[in-house]
Amino acid sequence: MHSSDIVVEDLTFRYPGGDEPVLRDANLRIEPGEFTAVVGGNGSGKTTLCKTFNGLVPHFFEGRFDGRVTVAGTDTREAGVAELSKTVGYVFQDFENQLVQETVRDDVEFAPLNHGLDDYAERATRALELVGLEHLEDRFVWELSGGQQHLVALAGVLAMDPEFVFVDEPAAQLDPHNAREAYEQLRRLHEDHDKTVVVIEHHSEFVADYCDEMVLVSDGGVAWKEPVEVGLNRLDDLQAHDIHPPQVTGIAADLPDGSGRLADERYPVTVDEAATAFPSVRERTGERPHAADGGERVDRHGSAADADADPLITLDGVGHGYPTLREGYNRVLDGVDLDLYAGDRVALVGANGAGKSTLLRLITGLESPDEGTVTVLGRDTSETLPETLADDTVYIHQNPEEMFVEDTVRKDVGYYLRNRGAEDADERVDEIVDYLDLADLADRDGRLLSLGQQRRASLAIGLATDPTVVLLDEPTGSLDLQSRREVTGMLRKAESRVETVVVASHDLQLVAEWADRVVVMGEGDVLADAPPGEVFDDPDLLARTDLRRPQVVELSDRLGVDPAALTADGMVATLTDAAEATGALADVGSGIGGNDGTERRGDRR
Amino acid sequence: MKYVDAVTDISIADIKIDLMRTAYDNDRALLNSFDPRVVLLWTVLFMIVPWLFYDPLPLAILLAAAFALAALSQVSKYLLALLLFGQVTNVGFFVVMVPAIGGTIQAVGYLRDNTGRVTEAIATLDPAVFGEIGSIVAGAAARGVDTALTSQEVGIDAVGAVVPFFLKLTIISVVSLAVFSAMSPRKLSKGMLRLGVPRQLTFAIAYGYRMMPLLVEEYHALVNSFRLRSEVPEKTGFLKWRYFYYLLKLSVKAFYPLIFNVAKRSRVTVEAMETKGFSRSLGDERSRALRTEGMMVRTRDVSFVFGSLFFVAAVWAFT
Repeated sequence: MHSSDIVVEDLTFRYPGGDEPVLRDANLRIEPGEFTAVVGGNGSGKTTLCKTFNGLVPHFFEGRFDGRVTVAGTDTREAGVAELSKTVGYVFQDFENQLVQETVRDDVEFAPLNHGLDDYAERATRALELVGLEHLEDRFVWELSGGQQHLVALAGVLAMDPEFVFVDEPAAQLDPHNAREAYEQLRRLHEDHDKTVVVIEHHSEFVADYCDEMVLVSDGGVAWKEPVEVGLNRLDDLQAHDIHPPQVTGIAADLPDGSGRLADERYPVTVDEAATAFPSVRERTGERPHAADGGERVDRHGSAADADADPLITLDGVGHGYPTLREGYNRVLDGVDLDLYAGDRVALVGANGAGKSTLLRLITGLESPDEGTVTVLGRDTSETLPETLADDTVYIHQNPEEMFVEDTVRKDVGYYLRNRGAEDADERVDEIVDYLDLADLADRDGRLLSLGQQRRASLAIGLATDPTVVLLDEPTGSLDLQSRREVTGMLRKAESRVETVVVASHDLQLVAEWADRVVVMGEGDVLADAPPGEVFDDPDLLARTDLRRPQVVELSDRLGVDPAALTADGMVATLTDAAEATGALADVGSGIGGNDGTERRGDRR
Repeated sequence: MKYVDAVTDISIADIKIDLMRTAYDNDRALLNSFDPRVVLLWTVLFMIVPWLFYDPLPLAILLAAAFALAALSQVSKYLLALLLFGQVTNVGFFVVMVPAIGGTIQAVGYLRDNTGRVTEAIATLDPAVFGEIGSIVAGAAARGVDTALTSQEVGIDAVGAVVPFFLKLTIISVVSLAVFSAMSPRKLSKGMLRLGVPRQLTFAIAYGYRMMPLLVEEYHALVNSFRLRSEVPEKTGFLKWRYFYYLLKLSVKAFYPLIFNVAKRSRVTVEAMETKGFSRSLGDERSRALRTEGMMVRTRDVSFVFGSLFFVAAVWAFT
């Protein structure tokens, strides 16, 4: 026990006007030197708990505060937010709005200047060096990418040299590549600069890869604090709080009787652990087995198949770009040729700035290509107004907030229909609202919903127009895993009503589970256009485009499953078959088949 | 539809970047190289100077100088064009307005002179007198139109009278555009803080600069969102006026969700500012001193002020 610990004792907190306390008899101790994840379901109170450490609760959010929180021996009720923030730095989930000055350096200097510290400039320099942003110090905050902005927010916190750094859901507002970069940064702070790092996190794969300790917040209280390997093995607890274990842990739990366990009887939580725990398929069978689910999906538009089918959308020699403040004209697309057909489930993937969103906007006609032509359902987009193209094409913005223009979801869904004078507008709205399970939310303001709900509502807005083509920009861009599953389900539902769905995404797990055609964008052009199995089989291509394979594909590679399994179910089937084939399970008996499906503990998506 | 796109879309990207350049690209702007306090005082001075002149010629020379300054400060050409358009139409308005009002007054006067006969006619309900009413009204209209057509000169005289006034306003507008687009927000707030402006205000300016591009993007996205869900009027009318009216309506509507989204953003911002010690710094002398250190009035600042005053004196003397 250190005097510099953060200690929470019997904390109960109730927001003014709230019926139920948000925090209830919470007890927790965080010691210097930890790298801890705070997990819990939506509304469990984990963010409120973390806001007690820098005094935002109860100084900023006043309410009924019982119990005690001490930070390095100071009772948080007796010190101000600004004072506590010298010890406890906090990076908000919505970090973009944490940046309040116009340039990077100004923002990082903001806190030391407020505290009247003479060495504010050195502090800022040091903080910027720590996060590797010193070359961008004169840039305007709004010029930076999301990942860079997150680092600026972190640097702003580090300028006060706090002992504890809290980061609220770093993976929620960042794409997977930048989220991983953010974690690498936090690891460096933890290992090289002895910071105590606490993250609030939904993504158990990040927890497994980076954290040491894990705290489960449940119903306003702290259920337990355990080492990560132990915590992530408490599958029932996790499932009860809508937290999905890492894909490999789920697979291990579904493998017949203990064949997925490590030597110490627990399930693996990282790909590395899984590769040692799972029976290595190659050695036992002497040949590379095929993924049970086929791995590669059928290429419906192989050379012969589409000879007679006309594409719905054609891009012909498309070049497009934007003027920029510093670098002149920035060419995003350069001579892109692409045909999209009816029935395609297209995933557009690629690094940030590869032109995925630009391509979608060109298809909507909101922008006309600088060069070449875009033809959508026989119409040249340069000659057609976006309002006309919208009769058949729907664009779902990556930030659903930009789609809400009315004060209830129901009105938003009906907006298009009423504008076009559809007579059966009310019925159609009701039907869509039911179809996407929005009945409970329909009379609320879309902007006040959770992100997952917003996403669903924005799809409803799109589907109400009865489109032929649906374009989705980053549907899982900032979602927890719970919502990713919703999105996958949503896409399947959408498919039965429309001809073609195009999704721009960073999320390869979504791509693996849903798409049948992956278009990899990069360097202004299409780098690859193939079924997911093939794209995942090209590590160089993925590295070049900042994409990371889902755990199950990575694991396939390690275990020699070829072609790679794309879903956890596929992997379980492959491993089970392989084990049976070699008779490795001979002494386990014949009950395996019967158990399959009934004893599933791992919740793998 | 090509030219419609040219107006609505391609130019939006250009206008955006041009405005960004005006507001944010200050490195080479002349006014940004001076001490901010000097520039602020100079601005106040030049808000007064144009009022000391009455003739169009010296005012025109000053306006030319103001434009030169604006060019050196990289003011957006779109903003300048908008400003000029506003002023020119204002002046042009007088040419139309003065005769029109003159005519109306004449017509009303004629009607009033004959009120007695009109009321008499109505009272007696005599059809013959009704005919006379018709001729009275026609006479009034004729006089009005005649006056309006023959009083062009009066209109032009009126314009002559207001031109110096508009010149003065234009000079002031161009100068302040130049100053506020040339000075970086950091320098501006530093200077204002030193001159005793409350920190809440200087912070608000800096924060506004930080948020503006974001709001522009968001606004554009909202307008697009509206467009994709609205119907274009089928008949676009003369010069497509219906189409542009429709776009105008959308662009006004898009402000409502924007305001809501801004309010939502600010919730996190105020929390974050609390953790960064903003409210603590408000009464803190040390913090204020650190923020305003390093400012110095040098020879070039002084020579800029005196140089421009000398220029004004020369204009005064030689015109």
